[in-house]
Amino acid sequence: MNRRDFIKLGLTTGSLLAIGSGSNLVTQIKGRQETRTKVLVLGFDGIDPHLAQIWMKEGLLPHFEKLRQQGDFSPLRTSHPPQSPVAWSNFITGCNPGGHAIFDFIHRDPENYIPIFSASRTEEASKTLSIGNLVLPLSGGGVEQLRKGKAFWQVLEEHDVPATIFKIPSNYPPVSTEQKTISGMGTPDILGSYGIFNFYTTQAAEIDADIGGGRIHPVYVIGNRVEAKLPGPTNTFKKDRPESTIDFKVFIDPENPVAKIAIQNHEFILKEGEWSGWKRVHFNMIPTQSVSGICMFYLKQIRPEFKLYVSPINFDPAQAAIPLSTPKSYAEELEEKFGPFFTKGLPADTSALDNDVLDEAEFLQQDDFVLEERWQMLDYHLDRFDSGLLFYYVSSTDQRQHMFWRLIDKEHPVHDPLLASKYGDTIKNIYIEADRMLGKAMEKVDKDTIIMVMSDHGFTPFRRGLNLNTWLKENGYLSLINSWRQGQDYFFENTNWSRTKAYAYGLNSLYINQRGREAEGIVSAGPDKEALVREIARKLEEFKDPETGDQVVLRAHIAKDIYKGLYVEEAPDIVVGYNRGYRVSWATGLGRIPKPVLENNTEKWSGDHCMDPSVIPGILFCNRKIQAPSPALHDLTPTILRLFGIEAPKEMIGKAIFSA
Amino acid sequence: MGKAKIKLDKDLMDKVKKFAEMAGYSSAEEFVSHCLEKEIAKLEDSDSEEEIKKKLKGLGYIS
Repeated sequence: MNRRDFIKLGLTTGSLLAIGSGSNLVTQIKGRQETRTKVLVLGFDGIDPHLAQIWMKEGLLPHFEKLRQQGDFSPLRTSHPPQSPVAWSNFITGCNPGGHAIFDFIHRDPENYIPIFSASRTEEASKTLSIGNLVLPLSGGGVEQLRKGKAFWQVLEEHDVPATIFKIPSNYPPVSTEQKTISGMGTPDILGSYGIFNFYTTQAAEIDADIGGGRIHPVYVIGNRVEAKLPGPTNTFKKDRPESTIDFKVFIDPENPVAKIAIQNHEFILKEGEWSGWKRVHFNMIPTQSVSGICMFYLKQIRPEFKLYVSPINFDPAQAAIPLSTPKSYAEELEEKFGPFFTKGLPADTSALDNDVLDEAEFLQQDDFVLEERWQMLDYHLDRFDSGLLFYYVSSTDQRQHMFWRLIDKEHPVHDPLLASKYGDTIKNIYIEADRMLGKAMEKVDKDTIIMVMSDHGFTPFRRGLNLNTWLKENGYLSLINSWRQGQDYFFENTNWSRTKAYAYGLNSLYINQRGREAEGIVSAGPDKEALVREIARKLEEFKDPETGDQVVLRAHIAKDIYKGLYVEEAPDIVVGYNRGYRVSWATGLGRIPKPVLENNTEKWSGDHCMDPSVIPGILFCNRKIQAPSPALHDLTPTILRLFGIEAPKEMIGKAIFSA
Repeated sequence: MGKAKIKLDKDLMDKVKKFAEMAGYSSAEEFVSHCLEKEIAKLEDSDSEEEIKKKLKGLGYIS
């Protein structure tokens, strides 16, 4: 298969993936044991121990403080690297990445140097039937979870301990189990992406069309009417694989700031600045097959310029074409109770805020919908929590810190005092909200329930970005084909592999261009490679930011020294641990090589956690005394099993943190 | 690597020379090659790498 064929195959990732292929994940819940022990785990993504302690001292987090007094608090050692899919996989499996094989958000295929999603892989149907212009899937196809290792709720299941796992990251598609689980981070939108919004405007020329996470559609207002198309998934049922679309119309009131939107069987009126709530849409593929999605419309402006935002289209939980939950009926149960709900992994639209399509207030309005949903579903799950384990996850703590850190960090390149005066408390407020959720949980569970509150990592400022591939080039480890093209290409298109010894992909991963592993590798495995790895790691740690004099890379970890398990061979060769304030640049993740080695981060995405693990531990609060002096994420897994009297499987590297 | 000649209108060639020098290219040939490669890449990428980029970019951590 050549490079371009590979890319085209990859295009189908997530879109239409389960249509006609079915999933084996649907199982019935069999009779489960009533347990005397009950364990509640609240997972607040990204809560930082430093900030939590400041606001606890100020009395703003009374329930965190109460839990600490009842038991204990400790910073929680995070994963190498501290990226959410890696960190949560440590928690899920009790292993480090060597045991669960999730090393970064983005992995690469060494055969063609193309980036791939680390978490899941979609296969097209292996057998198809062509009738005219139609291609009908007959067998095969589906989506594969790439995380290895056993999830702790699978171990609980083997011992008849019931568990409900609500939206834990790194569990898409949900692993096979009879427990109730619903997938979270990693679940695609209907296009198979991490989230692509649509923005319809008469002012399209003023927006960069090549923005990440969104599509800009130029529209015209003719006779107070706008006609547009909502793009959907690729229609793989047709030979030419067209993009499916839904036509819709907007009728603008000639006098008032109001418009009516007509799409399929919906007609609804929005005022300027109003959200529509969920609207269900159906993309028709062939007469017998359609894909159902849900999206929200936001009428941002009517005059003088027309601006309509449509959220990423989430899979419809009532008729999901992808596996969202185990059993399948769990997602439907929630839909029946609450109506349509966010199914895309990370629901907040950070791309829309980053690209000025939504402003701060609008972003928060949308994320408030997420929070409201989380509140309602927390209540629902607590009411039904009568045995075993309940894990409940909240994403807004992470997403708001990413986007609003610039407003609490006066040294950040895009700190804005005026905006800070309006939105400077956003992060504090989301910590207070998390505390209120904990308060609700403490009120609802009985006094014998063991409560653990955890985060996967903390947060720090992201002020400067290292173009790691540029650094490699400047230090003689990476060579370009044409130097004048530097900075323009993705996926290392302009890289001379025959003279390249190392390259960086993803957010913390650095690979040696190894002979026999990479398609055009030149460095021999063994002593040559080991010496090179140590040399690059040493030089990275010695590198200072010429502008600030600060060390940019706190530790360059050699993968085989930090990982343990069956999958160490698949790891990047060096895991780059950035210093506080630094991160890999925006461009490095997808194999770009801009000219400057270091750049200011001028994006609204201004807080981050893809640094060295020592810089950003997570949190652990619980109503029991912690015996372990320095607990880690992977220690919580055997701890949970121990609470139910289950010995940890031998592949788990963590140790229980409570005394027996 | 084989070389081929392409005929250009004189006015266009004069502009190419002028802007190649202004933009710091070492020759007019290098400038023309660059422009052509950029345009071809756009066409080649339109239905493939562009899509992968967009899908991954939605992740938020990269651009």
